[in-house]
Amino acid sequence: MEIRGYIGDASPVNNKVIAELRGVSKRFGDVLAASDLNLSIVEGEFLSFLGPSGCGKTTALRMLAGFEVPTEGEVLLDGKVVNDLDAYHRPVNMVFQQYALFPHMTVAQNIGYGLRQVRPRLPKAHIAEKVSKALDVVQLNGFDDRRIWEMSGGQQQRVALARAIVNEPKLLLLDEPMAALDRKLRKEMQIELQNLQRKLGITFVLVTHDQEEALSMSDRICVMRDGRIVQIGSPQELYDQPNSRYVADFVGTSNFFDGKITDQDGTLTSVLLDNGLTMQGKPVGQLGKGQQVCVSVRPEQMKLHRQGEGLNVVVQNRIFLGEHTEYLVMHETLGEFLVLSPRQSEPDNGPFNAGDDLLVSWASDTALIFDNI
Amino acid sequence: MTKDSDYISKRKFMEELGRYRKGSITRRHFLNVTGLGAATAVMGAAMPGLRPSPAFAGGNIGDRVVIATWPNYHDPSNFEAFTEATGAHVQVNVFGSNEEMLAKLQAGASGWDVYVPTNYTISTYVDEGLIEPLDTSKLSNYDASAFDARYAEAGSVDGTLYAVPKNWGSTGMAVNTAHNGGKPISSWKEFFDISRDKFSGRAMVHDYQLTTIGSALNYFGYSFNSVDEAELADAEKLLIDVKPHLFAITSDYQPSMRNGDAWLTICWSGDGKQLNTDMPEIHYVLGAEGGEIWSDYYAIPKNAPHKDAAYALINFLMDPTVNTKEVLAHGYPTADARTFALLPDDLKNDPILFPAQELLSPLEFGAAATLTDPNRAELMARFKSA
Amino acid sequence: MTQRTRNWLLLAPAGTWFLVMLIIPLSVVLIFSFGERAPAGGVVPAFTFEQYANLPARWTAFKNTMTLAPIGTLSALLIAYPLAYFLAVKVDPKWRTILLVLVIVPFWTSILIRSYAWIFLLGGRGIPALLEWFGIEGVRLINTPFAVLIGIIYGYLPLMVFPIYVSLDKLDKRLLEASSDLGAKPWRTFLQITLPLSIPGIATGCMLVFILLMGEYLIPAMLGGGKVFFVGNALVDLFLQSRNWAYGSAVAVTLVVVMLITVTIYMRLINRLGANRDDVSIM
Repeated sequence: MEIRGYIGDASPVNNKVIAELRGVSKRFGDVLAASDLNLSIVEGEFLSFLGPSGCGKTTALRMLAGFEVPTEGEVLLDGKVVNDLDAYHRPVNMVFQQYALFPHMTVAQNIGYGLRQVRPRLPKAHIAEKVSKALDVVQLNGFDDRRIWEMSGGQQQRVALARAIVNEPKLLLLDEPMAALDRKLRKEMQIELQNLQRKLGITFVLVTHDQEEALSMSDRICVMRDGRIVQIGSPQELYDQPNSRYVADFVGTSNFFDGKITDQDGTLTSVLLDNGLTMQGKPVGQLGKGQQVCVSVRPEQMKLHRQGEGLNVVVQNRIFLGEHTEYLVMHETLGEFLVLSPRQSEPDNGPFNAGDDLLVSWASDTALIFDNI
Repeated sequence: MTKDSDYISKRKFMEELGRYRKGSITRRHFLNVTGLGAATAVMGAAMPGLRPSPAFAGGNIGDRVVIATWPNYHDPSNFEAFTEATGAHVQVNVFGSNEEMLAKLQAGASGWDVYVPTNYTISTYVDEGLIEPLDTSKLSNYDASAFDARYAEAGSVDGTLYAVPKNWGSTGMAVNTAHNGGKPISSWKEFFDISRDKFSGRAMVHDYQLTTIGSALNYFGYSFNSVDEAELADAEKLLIDVKPHLFAITSDYQPSMRNGDAWLTICWSGDGKQLNTDMPEIHYVLGAEGGEIWSDYYAIPKNAPHKDAAYALINFLMDPTVNTKEVLAHGYPTADARTFALLPDDLKNDPILFPAQELLSPLEFGAAATLTDPNRAELMARFKSA
Repeated sequence: MTQRTRNWLLLAPAGTWFLVMLIIPLSVVLIFSFGERAPAGGVVPAFTFEQYANLPARWTAFKNTMTLAPIGTLSALLIAYPLAYFLAVKVDPKWRTILLVLVIVPFWTSILIRSYAWIFLLGGRGIPALLEWFGIEGVRLINTPFAVLIGIIYGYLPLMVFPIYVSLDKLDKRLLEASSDLGAKPWRTFLQITLPLSIPGIATGCMLVFILLMGEYLIPAMLGGGKVFFVGNALVDLFLQSRNWAYGSAVAVTLVVVMLITVTIYMRLINRLGANRDDVSIM
């Protein structure tokens, strides 16, 4: 099942919308946890809510699950408003942050739990078969009768996953599922989850604060801040065309230089930096002359060289990352910033060392100019 | 004669007691108002050296004296006066039954200087070697001739004086006549018959084998003190037959009588007096077949730590003016003619406190064997668990 | 100081306490139970099984205790569980402490005083008078086994509420969400998740209440009007009234043995229940 082709804006053409948030807000006392969320989730896609803690991503997920009722707006599943539909009636399942596995049940009993709730009752053999298949899918064959506390963190996560997918939900919600795993295991699980999603064709909605996780797994990412959706798009879109300094900062790494717009001509805009230098770049959104802005340049767009045009910098620190080398460089007025060099692009006399006097430059159209908020 | 000390009058005491029993005031208030709180205060003040010790004519008797007695059985102002006079503070220990008192003394080292045993226990104390013969030379206020012999003779065992009389009373029945067409009842036969009939679910017997079994024995015309197996078997049959009709088996019968849950109970004369004072429809009567008459005594345990103080206290309480105040405080009759003479007329003529001689004559004093008889104890247990 | 010495020193207070307050008195009672009653009460040393042979005379007391103790425990459980559940799961945390304190407040007064309050409430001028006012006549509450049961539930409720409260409070509330998420309606979530996971609290509460109830004497004496006779009442009578210490000791030893047996069986059952917790629905 391949629906990779869909690269989203919020109005899909050929794909069926499975869930939708329409002007949804959620208030907890005085706190507005989610504000005017509008989002369509398409059948079979892998969507991530990305943002720091407290940005409202978990609230959004819990409203989809049915644990929270929106204060305003509508939550739709399969085209029907489900605001008042209890969690146990929604064809939606969740993988909880700490897995929330039932400690008094075996692995198989945990996985079969959802099937046992179905009325009229499913035949026992049928349940057993489905549980066995689910164990197969998460590669835990033979662990049926294990106790939860006998399982490692990674195994527990697979059980949680199996417990959710065995019910063949319309929507699988994952609340920071990898947060408790170590880095290596997390990488493995990310790949596994992605494969699983493709294999099963179930719509996945992931909540994470880890941009790398979101970028590597999602078809679309919904970046959130202070209860609002800031930008929705494919990982590439978010990386290449962030709509704000916030997204540019949160998705990938960027260097920011503050200044004021002095000139706008054609596609490029000139910015007078606070230190007196002038930079050029592509404006994002409506920006006017004299406005306080920042110029954002990705480290990998910057090039270090010994001769030619550029800003004079001194290498402060070098971090070898295999294919890339990351340099922390110092400009006398701009301060420190990062440059990422692919190994093959480094000149013959590279790599550079700490203390080297170098020049740095980048193509003006790779620099983006954002409203400075 | 209601010229009070710092404490409240007898009438007020009775009223307060009545209100407490009816549950309309709190226990704390009760203790404060009645001065029973002062009994605790006396104990609190029993810390030696906290108060100056005034000189006492009888020489130094030490700074304290410990008395084991029954609840509400003294006028606290008398204890205060004793302390004023001698410098010895009175520490009061209150008990619920003679058995408890005996058990405590048997266990040894009670720490008591004076205690208040009932007539039928004294010979047991003598047999067990727990009691001190009294030296009358140290009891100038004790005048043997002033006491009615009936209430004094149990104090002597084999011609030796071990205890001097405190107060006496009877065990009869209290009946709420409002439920019996205004008529009281007059015999134990009537007591147990009406309990199974018109008063079913309304009668109470004591949680005390001596009086409960004794009354059942009286029903058949047997002796209150009988330990005869056949007679006890009859009594047991009666009690077990009556049990389903009983409201309760309890010695704390005043509350239920007062709130109207119960209409009839085996009753001690002091309680009968209190009930009758507050609720005139409740009559206290003695059973025609007989019943119990009892007398409490002051005595000194063999191992009393402050013997001089013990004699001083008993002697002080034997003083007719002091004793009069005692009687006014607790309402039990005295066997001391000198004290009787000082009592107000309405008390002297009270038919509950001082019944006519012909009513008293069928009554029996409890015997030592009655109390300690194992068969009676077991009978009571069978009755209670039936 | 070696680790060993330190361990011994740490154990010393508890060990001494155990010896002085438990082992010695129990041994004394055991020795007494083979003695004979002294003529004036108390005990004379002997070696006779007479007291034990006489145990059937207190059969009713044992029967009453072994009936009312389980019924009382069960009733207390049925009332305590919803209360503990409410406190641990439902109530707004800012009220929780106050409500928990309210559960214990009655313990600040002596059980004697509280029993007097119940005597009034259950007596003719209390609840029956109220019922009469509503036209229900002739209800007798005080001095019945029912009154004793009420007193027991009232007196022992906090002992039942707290262990259950603790186990429910510890319960990970996300498990309840997970259950709901997997399609279980609230009642089924309760039966399959909440109840099995609160079994440790239930077990502790029941054990505490049951053991204490086996030795209870005050409540039956006060609210049962002396007509509801527990082993505890038999013991009070034997030691304080008839002063038959030998027989009293035999009854006491028997009570301890009965209690030990009951508690052992109970523990076995609970452990088995714990081991079989895979049988998801215990109901």
